[in-house]
Amino acid sequence: MKKHFKLLLQTTTCTALSLLLIACGQSKSDKTSTETAEKPVIALIMKSLANEFFKTMGEGAEMHHAENPDQYDLIVNGIKNESDVSAQVDMVEQMMSRGVDAIVIAPADSKALIPILKRASDAGVLVINIDNKLDSDILKELNLNLPFVGPNNRDGARMVGEVVAQQLQANDEVAIIEGITTTFNAIQRRLGFEDAMQAGGVKVVSKQSGYWEMEPANNVASAMLNEHENLKALLCANDSMALGAVAAVRAAGLEEKVLVAGFDNISAVRPLILNGQMIATADQHGDQLAAFGIQAALDILSGGEQPKDQQTVVDLITQETLNQ
Amino acid sequence: MNYKRWFTDYAPMILIWLGLVLLFGILSDNFVTSRTLATLASQVPPLAIIACGMTLVLIIAGIDLSVGSTLALASAMLGVALVDWEFPLILAIVVAVITGGLTGLFNGAISVYLRIPSFIVTLGTLEIARGLAYLATDSQTKYLGVALEPMARPLPGLGVPISFLIAVVVIIIGQFILTRTTYGRYLIAIGTNESAVRLAGVPTARKKISVFAITGLLTGLAAVFFTSRLGSADPNAGVGMELSAIAAVVIGGTSLMGGRGSIINSFIGVLIIATLGAGLAQIGASEPSKRVVTGLVIVLAVTIDALRGGFFQKLKMRFKTGTL
Repeated sequence: MKKHFKLLLQTTTCTALSLLLIACGQSKSDKTSTETAEKPVIALIMKSLANEFFKTMGEGAEMHHAENPDQYDLIVNGIKNESDVSAQVDMVEQMMSRGVDAIVIAPADSKALIPILKRASDAGVLVINIDNKLDSDILKELNLNLPFVGPNNRDGARMVGEVVAQQLQANDEVAIIEGITTTFNAIQRRLGFEDAMQAGGVKVVSKQSGYWEMEPANNVASAMLNEHENLKALLCANDSMALGAVAAVRAAGLEEKVLVAGFDNISAVRPLILNGQMIATADQHGDQLAAFGIQAALDILSGGEQPKDQQTVVDLITQETLNQ
Repeated sequence: MNYKRWFTDYAPMILIWLGLVLLFGILSDNFVTSRTLATLASQVPPLAIIACGMTLVLIIAGIDLSVGSTLALASAMLGVALVDWEFPLILAIVVAVITGGLTGLFNGAISVYLRIPSFIVTLGTLEIARGLAYLATDSQTKYLGVALEPMARPLPGLGVPISFLIAVVVIIIGQFILTRTTYGRYLIAIGTNESAVRLAGVPTARKKISVFAITGLLTGLAAVFFTSRLGSADPNAGVGMELSAIAAVVIGGTSLMGGRGSIINSFIGVLIIATLGAGLAQIGASEPSKRVVTGLVIVLAVTIDALRGGFFQKLKMRFKTGTL
């Protein structure tokens, strides 16, 4: 009896799940049949949708689509883990087999995505690169022209770094908490921070990765504070890591001595900037970034524009700008 | 008290840990300081508490891959309860712990009643709980401010936060239950030969479910300490934490096949992993070398444990009897 019950339970669960899947599939295929007619289909492929930065980016894209519903159809995709490059490669493949006209992508890795994007481009899909710039040397070598629409991360980080440097004196010690060190953005932001420190004669005594995440950054920041007693600032390549760094500074009781700077301007850091626990961050207008990319794709698809790089604005956020 | 037994049980692990502390003491300027030790004391409680539950799960020959996501979900619920529902702190903590407990109960009930390996059930829960964490927080990091900070702050005179003391109490109670109660002995028996235990008339199903529920509750508690240290609830928290917990438990000599394990040794395993992380960050080791060294230490610790367990004698015996 018990066995039968179990079998029944298993069967019902399976049936329910398959019905659910079929239902999901159907709603999607309904959409396809209406959209393939004449409007171009644009696929937006982002990194982690769990990261607020990419979430607002997706929302910006959807808003852009809501304003121009008759111009194109939009598919928004993201991977679950920022470093999961292969999942993103799979996603590009899926979008190709779906027959999209353009792919607007924030690559999880600036090199590893190039081969699949080359295949997409060769297959006639327009590829627009946003957020994290693909490696230009490899692109040149492959003779690929994938327009980059996005901010200059190095300039943004330099602006943030300059605000920090102004508070410091020559030969003061600072440390940098980097993102995932293989990504272009992580490298650019570190270089931007270094540019500003060098200009101010400030010494960078440690550079380590916080993997873009809060807790790893907290551990690294604690270790840095313990090892370098004269540390005056922690420059973090994104705001999640800055939150972790702020917690480390507070735990060490060094609020008065150590400045923390971030990047991205996520909503969670605003109270920290207002009460002085963080000195500055940079806003790349992530919400508009995907929309810029989509607009660029539309302009090119309609034949009005030649594919070329476009730079978008980066704003510095400090206590002063927030109070305005 | 059997000192010889104590020596063979715990001494090798403690020696490895002390060796690491000594090594980093030599390699870096400020490792063996009260500040670094205080940092370690504030970092280890979440992983230590989770490792306690993980040890029990491994002892009954199960596994729980969902602890990292469960931690994020419990942390998210803590944030939601504090910020959105404006619950008093103590009630919010209860919400977080119960969230963890329910997740564990789900794991246990499904895997025991439907006889699905816990590896598969908890792999599913890993995704479900992470998704729910994103839903609960709207994919945004919630800044909680100073509401939770007293728990992360070192206690006056002791230099360690209350979370560390609670973790130590959990470990001691766990070890006591495992070695000195019938419940604990049954868990070991279930891990060694479940059908024999069942045929002896012991209701194994309830015992197994309770182990998963306890692990969930402990993960919820760990989430409270994790969140209090960072002052923010991050839906991306604890990614990969299941592997750190399993690594710590295995370093401590618990068998993945069930039937053998020690919660105290798991705790020392956690100390080894945390010390390694802090030490490598403090000497400013490069990213690749961090990975390689961490992996090597795990292998080394498990090897030493295997040798201690008469690995070679067993091998010789099997060679002689021709079962190799």
